[in-house]
Amino acid sequence: MEALLNTGSTIDEGRLAKGGNKYSEDYKTECAVCWVCAEDFAALGCPEKVKVTSRDGVHSVAVSTKVTESVKSGHVFIPRSIWANVVVEPSTFSTGSPLYKGSPVSVEPTDDVVMDAEEIVLKLYMGEE
Amino acid sequence: MVYKNIICPVCGGSCDDVQVELKDGTIDVQNACKMGNAKFQEVVSSHRLLKPTIRENGKVKDVSWDEALEMSADILANSKRPLFFLGSETSCEAQEVGLHIAEYLGGVADSNATICHGPTVMGIQEAGCVGSTAGQAKNRADMIIYWGVNALESMPRHMSKYGVFPRGYWAKKGRFDRTMVTVDPRKTPTAVASDLHLQLKPNTDYELLSALFTILNGKEPHPSVEEITGIPIPVMKQTIEMMKESNYVGIFVGLGVSSSYGKHRNIEIALNLVKEMNNYTKCNLGALRGHCNVAGFNQLASYLYGYPFGIDFGKGYPRYNPGETTCVDVLREKDVDAAFVMSADLVNHIPADAAKYLADIPMICLDIAPCPSTTASDVVLPGVIDAMECDGTFYRLDNVPVHFEPFTDSPFPETKSNEDTLKQLFAKVKAKKEA
Amino acid sequence: MAEVILKPIGNFDLTVEAEAITPDNFAGKTAVEIGEILIWQAPAQAKLSEFFSVEGNGGSSAEDTTITIDGDVPRVKRIGQEMTAGKIIIKGSTGMHVGNTMAGGEIIVEGNAESWPGMEMKGGLLHIKGDTLDHVGCAYRGSWHGMTGGRIVIDGNAKNQVGGGISGGEIIIGGNVDNFCGIRMNGGLIVVKGNAVRTTAAEMTGGVMVVGGRIEKFSPGFEMEAVECDLKFDDIECAGEFMKFTGDYAIPQKGKGTLYVSYENNECL
Ligand code: SF4
Repeated sequence: MEALLNTGSTIDEGRLAKGGNKYSEDYKTECAVCWVCAEDFAALGCPEKVKVTSRDGVHSVAVSTKVTESVKSGHVFIPRSIWANVVVEPSTFSTGSPLYKGSPVSVEPTDDVVMDAEEIVLKLYMGEE
Repeated sequence: MVYKNIICPVCGGSCDDVQVELKDGTIDVQNACKMGNAKFQEVVSSHRLLKPTIRENGKVKDVSWDEALEMSADILANSKRPLFFLGSETSCEAQEVGLHIAEYLGGVADSNATICHGPTVMGIQEAGCVGSTAGQAKNRADMIIYWGVNALESMPRHMSKYGVFPRGYWAKKGRFDRTMVTVDPRKTPTAVASDLHLQLKPNTDYELLSALFTILNGKEPHPSVEEITGIPIPVMKQTIEMMKESNYVGIFVGLGVSSSYGKHRNIEIALNLVKEMNNYTKCNLGALRGHCNVAGFNQLASYLYGYPFGIDFGKGYPRYNPGETTCVDVLREKDVDAAFVMSADLVNHIPADAAKYLADIPMICLDIAPCPSTTASDVVLPGVIDAMECDGTFYRLDNVPVHFEPFTDSPFPETKSNEDTLKQLFAKVKAKKEA
Repeated sequence: MAEVILKPIGNFDLTVEAEAITPDNFAGKTAVEIGEILIWQAPAQAKLSEFFSVEGNGGSSAEDTTITIDGDVPRVKRIGQEMTAGKIIIKGSTGMHVGNTMAGGEIIVEGNAESWPGMEMKGGLLHIKGDTLDHVGCAYRGSWHGMTGGRIVIDGNAKNQVGGGISGGEIIIGGNVDNFCGIRMNGGLIVVKGNAVRTTAAEMTGGVMVVGGRIEKFSPGFEMEAVECDLKFDDIECAGEFMKFTGDYAIPQKGKGTLYVSYENNECL
């Protein structure tokens, strides 16, 4: 499914990030989550987890799903975090600021494990180390 | 002992009424929100970074402060073009030293604004800003618009302390004297708490603002705008009428406006609309800034070097061109070869391509807790927590400077504050360069 | 006409700023002297010969000098900045700010160019045969006036903020544009032969813009005036039927600009 990705803060994301708990299980439970509306959730086959991929197809990340009334069909939300930023569009339109709101992504059901924040750094960003 | 009137160093709200009590091994915090409280717990937390580390052949090991600073100075002195990301969770005093090191080395200096309200600042450069302090809106506003910001979750006390609920001199009944409007593509808790929610489609803020402005100018917007934004024209008209009939409209913008596409142009037209609205009523616009001192860097860099962020010292004098001299762009284009990241978890907050390159190049990170940036760093310098362990200056969301005083001391005998750490680093860098 | 040929040979790991590469600067110099000219790989300066092999001497004047860059230089910025005469041919792609504030002469880029080509250009011709990114012929940050004269031709696509604040001169885009094409335009002419995504001609207060393709999201502050056929602006012709709009009425009391939009491709308007 093609969608526009919105990212932003949630209160618990803020609480955990500011409290220095980015490597906690709670942080992953709060942030490694893709919010979708019921309609899109059904269309995706009610998956427990989805793989979100950036427009260029280069970067993708597996996250859990959460059904919510707060987003409309065709739009998804991931709390501001490393998971979201893996797929945020890096182009800044000559403003310095990436497209944290409204990045085009594709969303599909997956069985991949949801990595924790440290694993993302080690595996995706730092190679095999 | 109970300490009163402590400043919260977490978000741009810089709440100045926090009360803390340090007992052995625990801290009791009053008045701060969930987010603020979490950071106060860092003073006593078990995961606090207490020892400098370096990474050698892929292995992380503890080293002395002196060794860590030596290695940091080596990285910076040997770099052709270092990037300084001077994060906002520390004082202006520390940022200032960082800016001077960047100037000395001919590097690039940037701060959280670049990935936050940078476009807001650019919009202000284009259009000027009818601004006010937070107290103005608190005392006068009878209409509050949260545009592209989920205030309840990003600045939890904004609504209760500055925006909606407090009783003001001319808004004596607090919430009952104010109309609250939220413009957001998502039905956020803030939107739910509002009187009117304009649930526009993502990336259409500019069209909505433009249509509102057209209505204000007495013209009919092109009908296609309903389909584009998802907002019916009569609702737009009603919104403009509501604004005109109010005594004071306080507009607070968030990343939804400055970060969705349109960026600084969204802010620019919003500011122009605000200017025009002042022909009918009082109206001002302010940004809700996520990190405590993100406004401070803009102020500081502007008065020291003429530009608010994204400063390139390559030619020995400051230059500024977002998209060319800004952090995400220089990383994406691989146009720096080392990085110093202070009090901001940069790796966590930037897109993958930029984060990957940052992890690739030699990186020094100054922070208080383990996070993706410390993991990817070659040198980690433990941070001192401003407003708790040392004094200094923050700028609040409305650009009011706030001096903060600590209630305890730096846990490190080697450094009193991040400013102190940076001064020591600067001395070492200078010694190496001038040797 | 004297020709100086530069071949990229250096290490471009960090981008290079080569505002010194202009016919004005090369005129009257021998190949060796040209090789001595300093360019920036910020924060250091180095001789041009460290980055390029130099062949041929400059002409007696700028008019008389052609510079050919024989290769791809995507990481070299500011080529042809402030040039007033002569010619530069780049046989590949180039970096940001090509032809920045140029006042005369000609630059031909056979490949792509990065953002800011022809910023605040005053005269001359800048022809990019490939694609480019943002801020074509645009005003610098906070400035009210973009290009004031000359012509920019892009055969491929451009991205955002094409011709921001343009006051004079012409920009012709063969392909498509994204957002904010002609933002704050107050004079001059922009012709986009392909499609535009959104906010086309936003905040325009003067000048003429033509979009031959489809506009995905139309700017709300425009009013339709008439339908016109086969437009002609001196030597630039746009065939077909066009809807003529004026605006941008989102901007108060500031005069108005003209936006022509292809009828055939935008019937829903
Ligand atoms: S609103 Fe912001 S400044 Fe105030 S207590 Fe919460 S985090 Fe701290």
